[in-house]
Amino acid sequence: MEKILITLNINDKPCEVMVYPNDTLLEVLRDELDLTGSKESCGEGVCGSCTIHMDDKPVRSCLTLAMEATGTKIKTVEGLAKGDELSSLQQSFVDHGAVQCGFCTPGMLMSADALLKINSKPDEKTVRKAIAGNICRCTGYTKIVKAVAHAGNSQDHCPDCITFSKAKE
Amino acid sequence: MSDYAIIGKRMPRVDSRAKVMGKAKFTADLKLPGMLVGKIKRSPYAHARILNIDTSKAEALPGVKSVVTGKDTEGVKWGVFAYTRDQEFIQTQKVRYIGDEVAGVAAVDEETALKALDLIEVTYEELPAVFDSMEAMASETELIHGDFPNNINVHVNIDTGNVDENFKKAHYIREDTFVAPEESYFQAEPYAIVARFDHEDCLEIWCPNGGPHMKSKPLSNAFKIPLHKVKVRKIAIGGAFGGRSEICPVDYICALLAKKTKKPVRIQFTREENTIATRQGHAMITTHKTGVDKDGRVLARETTCYMDGGAYSSTGPIATSVPFLSMEQAYRMGSVRYNGYRIYTNKPIRGMIRTHGRGFAAGLDTQLDMIAEHIGIDPVEIRLRNSRQPGEYTSTKSYVDSCAMDETIHKAVEKSRFKEKWGKLPPLHGIGIGTNSVQTGFPMGIRGGSQSFIKFNEDGEATVMSGVVDNGQGNDNMLVQIAAEELGLLPEDIHLVSADTETTSSDPGSYSQVSTFVGGHAVKIAAQNCRAKLFKVASKVLKVSPDKLVAQNRLIFVRDDPEKSIPIKKVVRISLLNFNSVNAEGGYWPKVDMKREWVKNPYGQMCEAFSFGTTIVEVKVDPNTGQVEVLEATAAQDVGYALNPLVLEGQFEGSIAMGGQGGMLTEYHEWNGGRCINPTMLDYKLPLACDMPPKINNIIVESVDPKGPYGAKEAGMSIAMSAAQAYSAAVSNAIGVYMDSFPLTPDKILAAIKSKES
Amino acid sequence: MRLPRFEYIEPINFEGALDLLYIHKDNAKVLAGGTDLLVRMKKGLLKPKIIISLKALKELSYIKKDDSYIKIGARTSIADIIASDLIKKEACALFEACEKIGAVTIQHYRGTIGGNILQDNRCIHYNQSAFHRSGRQPCHKDGGKICYARDASDRCNSTCQSDGATALMALGANITLVRKGTERIIDLDNFYTTDGIMPFAMESNELLKEIVIPIQGGKSSYKRLAYRSAIDYPIVSAGVFLKSSDTSKNEIEDARIVVGAIARAPIFLAKASSFLKGKKFNDISAFKKAADISMDNASTFAVHNVGSTLEYRCAMVSEMVFQALKEAAIVTQE
Repeated sequence: MEKILITLNINDKPCEVMVYPNDTLLEVLRDELDLTGSKESCGEGVCGSCTIHMDDKPVRSCLTLAMEATGTKIKTVEGLAKGDELSSLQQSFVDHGAVQCGFCTPGMLMSADALLKINSKPDEKTVRKAIAGNICRCTGYTKIVKAVAHAGNSQDHCPDCITFSKAKE
Repeated sequence: MSDYAIIGKRMPRVDSRAKVMGKAKFTADLKLPGMLVGKIKRSPYAHARILNIDTSKAEALPGVKSVVTGKDTEGVKWGVFAYTRDQEFIQTQKVRYIGDEVAGVAAVDEETALKALDLIEVTYEELPAVFDSMEAMASETELIHGDFPNNINVHVNIDTGNVDENFKKAHYIREDTFVAPEESYFQAEPYAIVARFDHEDCLEIWCPNGGPHMKSKPLSNAFKIPLHKVKVRKIAIGGAFGGRSEICPVDYICALLAKKTKKPVRIQFTREENTIATRQGHAMITTHKTGVDKDGRVLARETTCYMDGGAYSSTGPIATSVPFLSMEQAYRMGSVRYNGYRIYTNKPIRGMIRTHGRGFAAGLDTQLDMIAEHIGIDPVEIRLRNSRQPGEYTSTKSYVDSCAMDETIHKAVEKSRFKEKWGKLPPLHGIGIGTNSVQTGFPMGIRGGSQSFIKFNEDGEATVMSGVVDNGQGNDNMLVQIAAEELGLLPEDIHLVSADTETTSSDPGSYSQVSTFVGGHAVKIAAQNCRAKLFKVASKVLKVSPDKLVAQNRLIFVRDDPEKSIPIKKVVRISLLNFNSVNAEGGYWPKVDMKREWVKNPYGQMCEAFSFGTTIVEVKVDPNTGQVEVLEATAAQDVGYALNPLVLEGQFEGSIAMGGQGGMLTEYHEWNGGRCINPTMLDYKLPLACDMPPKINNIIVESVDPKGPYGAKEAGMSIAMSAAQAYSAAVSNAIGVYMDSFPLTPDKILAAIKSKES
Repeated sequence: MRLPRFEYIEPINFEGALDLLYIHKDNAKVLAGGTDLLVRMKKGLLKPKIIISLKALKELSYIKKDDSYIKIGARTSIADIIASDLIKKEACALFEACEKIGAVTIQHYRGTIGGNILQDNRCIHYNQSAFHRSGRQPCHKDGGKICYARDASDRCNSTCQSDGATALMALGANITLVRKGTERIIDLDNFYTTDGIMPFAMESNELLKEIVIPIQGGKSSYKRLAYRSAIDYPIVSAGVFLKSSDTSKNEIEDARIVVGAIARAPIFLAKASSFLKGKKFNDISAFKKAADISMDNASTFAVHNVGSTLEYRCAMVSEMVFQALKEAAIVTQE
């Protein structure tokens, strides 16, 4: 069994990489391309920690062969920010305290980002459905749901956004 | 209510930016030059004698760099206490559960390592196995550990005296038995470890851990190298929830493979390995016998609990005690007798978990509700009549200083409108309350305290060193907040060096709810000492005495004349120019009774502070399917003082998910003999976003503990436990049947409804 | 978790795929979305030498109306089915079933309807890692002679947990299977076998091309029960189809009740179905009776192998059928 040279379009950059046919996209991202933001938690498509985008749609990279990803536009959590500037969704996760251990966060962000692309002002119920395929063991989801629902809003409209600068009640 | 600049504010966590960018490194993300892949060969039998291990074929496989077996371990054994040292790091004589370690392999890649595992030939002689605690105690087959008769691993006996006499005085006595099977942690990050021996023969380790110093000491013992040569490094950690506190065989095996190959080795667990070969929660069978007076005040209680401990001791003595301690802290109980038995079985090893004793606690609260109904008062009233009060001693003689248990009850009752709803909800709607208490720390002897060191850099920023580890709950942020507050800096000015055993001093670790109370406290003291040095210099410049100075927002200024100020950066430079150090250290050791011991002497001051939590939930049960819909959850906890409400709320909400939604409705392990048949995230039902109640009310109650830093106590476990109790109470209330078997899965609920109808 | 080694081939069209299957037969497995196949491969349950990816076969992705039939290409994503007004209107049971498959993030891209109805049967003792399955005798499905779900059973008792299969069978769907040079159409009723090891009548050189649902003017519904709101297989499910008589709107002329996730295949319950013929759409007690007949008939096939308890799942057959019938009846009357 030999490695094959493929080209993947990742975060708007073409990457040439040698892969085995049985390499998953997750393994190639993490082991060959040093994009370790995508995580393996269950390895069988349940937990959503490995979620990335293929052509703007959320996909489990642990159940996607690298070979199958050729010719698609791949986006990983590393591609969400513009340089040092966080996307409004990422900033909203920070501000709402939606991150605890952070292991599920990259996958959660990718599922949420895909939702926001088709619905920029989702209600909480819609958010819960969109992230139903992402397991978080720390947060109980409340702050994640708020962070996604308010990612597009001006922070003044969200009582949970009162952050550092303002005193607690 | 305070004049703190940073403490008490809703501060976004310092670690969240790297985490949302995917930049935070977890153990499995590490890549070191020449790194090998390690894998563990595990026993496929629940109980068997090892007759022979032949590794020759595996060793001959190209790409295999080392194969280790029990012969390489020099017989070292692991156990948290000297008297529980019962686990070889790699088994040499026999295996005691499906998953027990029999060999380790390091190879150039995963495929080769896995192939090598298949080539290791182990010859076993199967032995009769036992899979539950009752069966194990009665078993006449070969003991799991020869020196523990009846397979009883630990027996904790607590007796305050007068129990039988007080039962005689009781107006009403009930005795009920409650059962709950094993639950699991399911940390998001599967366990992983990277180990290497560096150029100075120091062992360097990266792994998710509940306390780096709790990993380094046993490893130094096992490898017979000095403590300074074991360097447990800081790494992002994907959850612990009470697990990952002690070392486990894979830590040793990975290090041993690194030693043999002289290369870095990484072992990454599958989800299945994380479930069966780290730790699980104990299955418990608990009998509570409670006698009350005519007003419902508990006069006497006798509790007997049988815990399925699995194949080895682990934290056995602690695990056998904590469910009882939580209840004796939460409730006054006149006199009490407790017998806790932890039984060896041929199942995976059980340890401490955030929901430890869910059946124990939910059972006790269920029984209280039964008693309340009998004497004609409501569940709130009976709790208020028995709730812990400040200034009291627990049954095992721990003094309880700050305590706002009643306030948590009152506030949760008010917010949830419990009184309006109790008894008046439509059919199949229910509301329930649970109350619990958690200890802030255990007596841990020499490792019970934490020490911190702070140094100022010449640019006016500070480096803070602390042994406290962040498992995901936000400890890093807590330390930064405290340091910034005390030093008068902004959080971004603090560089935190933590959870690294080379650079930080000893710390008890991030479990037993002790990080803020002890570790945070140490940082506070170090920062105050450091600030005092700055004030001394600043007072000369500003020409006022140091006690009139305030440090805030990168300035030192005169309290009554804020215009008179000097930048901290300048003070640092002046100090250095004048040969004054701007470093300081500080430490905190909780005043506990060092003579208290889990088995031999379970009396005396347990820890300095106790937290108290109340959860109320409202549910609706579908009578046709037995499924439960949770409409609203209200969590109130006496946390002492809220250092960061944003982080606290996250703990409350996560607790509702793990303790209530998961812990009381869906989470349990199923077995086929000793085989766990739901070790994966598909088959073990963790709650999802859509499963959670749409509304969670968080109520932070502050009793301001006199010893805690800023008055802070604990915030990770009281709600998880009380949520389990509240969920069970609400379901029982909805269906009109007191449930005694947890978790409350739809099949059990439906059966209860049907049995009531007939 | 590592996948075992294989050769990956990506045919550029349908004919190419058929050629490959013709050559490789048993050595090859067809990869559509991968959510079922790749997981089984990771657990070592399957070790194909060749993977034939349908990635390039966009021609197999369509939903169209053709006279009185809905035709769905095998590679159509679950998300496309959920989004189809045609399916929602004429084959509501399939819409409801697809909504429950996996989670939004699986439905979008990876999950296909073909993959869903061709998913292998499952059993909590079989769908385990190679390690889990070592140290004990292999079960029937694993090449051995033991069943861990039912003592002393001489055959495999694995369960078909496909949501799509149950719904489509209720809708009276058939499928088109193609192999090089020939194609055949088979009713789903006949496609699913009662063999837990080989749960469908499909040759290794055949490819699923299309699913055809007849538009019969009736109403359908699908209900399922799982422990979790998403990423969960059903522990019991029911798909029903009800058609009113041309002469009397309130009279049931035709009924089809199919129960899933309880046996080796979705079960069409002929007795319960025919019981409803001639009954009124507002006859709740008739629905209850039909649901109970369904339970009696289906329960005999059930084994304890997909979680929860056997008693509970059997009881829930009745409940799911009843709920589905009620819903279909209400929609019909609207």
